[in-house]
Amino acid sequence: MRTYDYSAPASIDEALAALKEYGDDAEFIAGGTSLILMMQQGLVQPGKVIGLGNIKELRGIKRSADGGLEVGAMTTHRQLETSPEAFAYAAALPQSLGVIATIRIRNQATLGGNLVHADPAQDPPPVLIALDATIDVVKAGGGARSIAMESFFTDYFETTIGEDELLRSVKVPPMPAGSRLAYKKFLPRTEDDYATVSVAVRLGVNPDGTCKDIRIGLGALAVTPLRGKAVEKALLGQKLTPESIREAAALVRDEVDPLDDVRGSAGYKREMARVWTERTIASLAGVELKAKA
Amino acid sequence: MKFEQTIELPGVSPERVWAFVMDVPSMAKCIPGCDGVEDLGGGRYKAVVKIKVGPIGLSLASEISIVEKDETNRTASLQVEAADKRVGGAVKATMSMKLTPAGDGSKLEVSTDANVMGRIGDFGQSVIRKKADQTLQEVAENLRKALA
Repeated sequence: MRTYDYSAPASIDEALAALKEYGDDAEFIAGGTSLILMMQQGLVQPGKVIGLGNIKELRGIKRSADGGLEVGAMTTHRQLETSPEAFAYAAALPQSLGVIATIRIRNQATLGGNLVHADPAQDPPPVLIALDATIDVVKAGGGARSIAMESFFTDYFETTIGEDELLRSVKVPPMPAGSRLAYKKFLPRTEDDYATVSVAVRLGVNPDGTCKDIRIGLGALAVTPLRGKAVEKALLGQKLTPESIREAAALVRDEVDPLDDVRGSAGYKREMARVWTERTIASLAGVELKAKA
Repeated sequence: MKFEQTIELPGVSPERVWAFVMDVPSMAKCIPGCDGVEDLGGGRYKAVVKIKVGPIGLSLASEISIVEKDETNRTASLQVEAADKRVGGAVKATMSMKLTPAGDGSKLEVSTDANVMGRIGDFGQSVIRKKADQTLQEVAENLRKALA
């Protein structure tokens, strides 16, 4: 590994100033679970590494007055997994953090680092897309902006975050009344693997059994995490039955563009996207799926 | 890793396309991140191609040789050898080209067979394929613009 200069500023302003000073040669480091591996492999060789661990403004999980949730970028997966605030918001949110890798990784990896790394097979992005989250970003020299989670990822390992920006926090709006969240991660190989496919759904059902709220996040199914808009559109306002869910879930096959890899061919993942979308929606709707005749 | 690409160039004569693609410095301008083309003589050229995938930046020192060129049938074959010494990886590729008239314009068929070695290869073949597909599409788009 190339030797590098390290500093750990105590404020966002100092961190952004250091980034500006070193430009392309600098990398922010959060938990380091991805960056250090890439540095060890020699794929990334920064001359300056700026640690974010001392910046208090980047920490903390709090409920907002309107019932939403704000999570600081340096919050570890384990902190969010065990957060009473996150449980009170929607139990499936902290539970979705509990299926990431191993506890050692979850104790180290951070939410902000995970999002900026932009690996399409990670677990938090589809969940946060389903929850309609926004990302708060601060810019060097002042200024801030919010980015909708579903438009944050642009390509494999790429996001809309600028080279002079830092991810400050993730904000999740209040859950619509009566809506619930579920996350399913298909792991046919080992318990601590990356998802072969993953599906997160936020669903609300009217007393007459029609769908009043639906948002779908999809992981490991393209070069970026995706939103399952066609499935949402097909079900919103419709009666949730085994047939309607099956028909709508089949639309996901045309929304995804998976990569072939050791976890399966693109065709297999496309089919698994349909299966797991159907199962996740059905589980939230309390609909029992019938086996195909 | 094999790539097949067909570039339709309506309204551009095969003569013009042939002259453009056989002029390596002009063609290099259509390759995103390609800089500083140097003519080594004898159909050999040197260039640096910069590729970025998130935090990973590759700087590929490349040597391009025209190994076959058939003016009559408008077919050619190019060999590309590129390496990033810092990251420790290399790409060796053979590109075969065939140019034919199509309607009022031309059709360029390019077939590439690439071997990716070292750390770049470890990165994941599916990601490399996706990135290469994107780059080839950009090259085609830039070529259309350059000849428009």
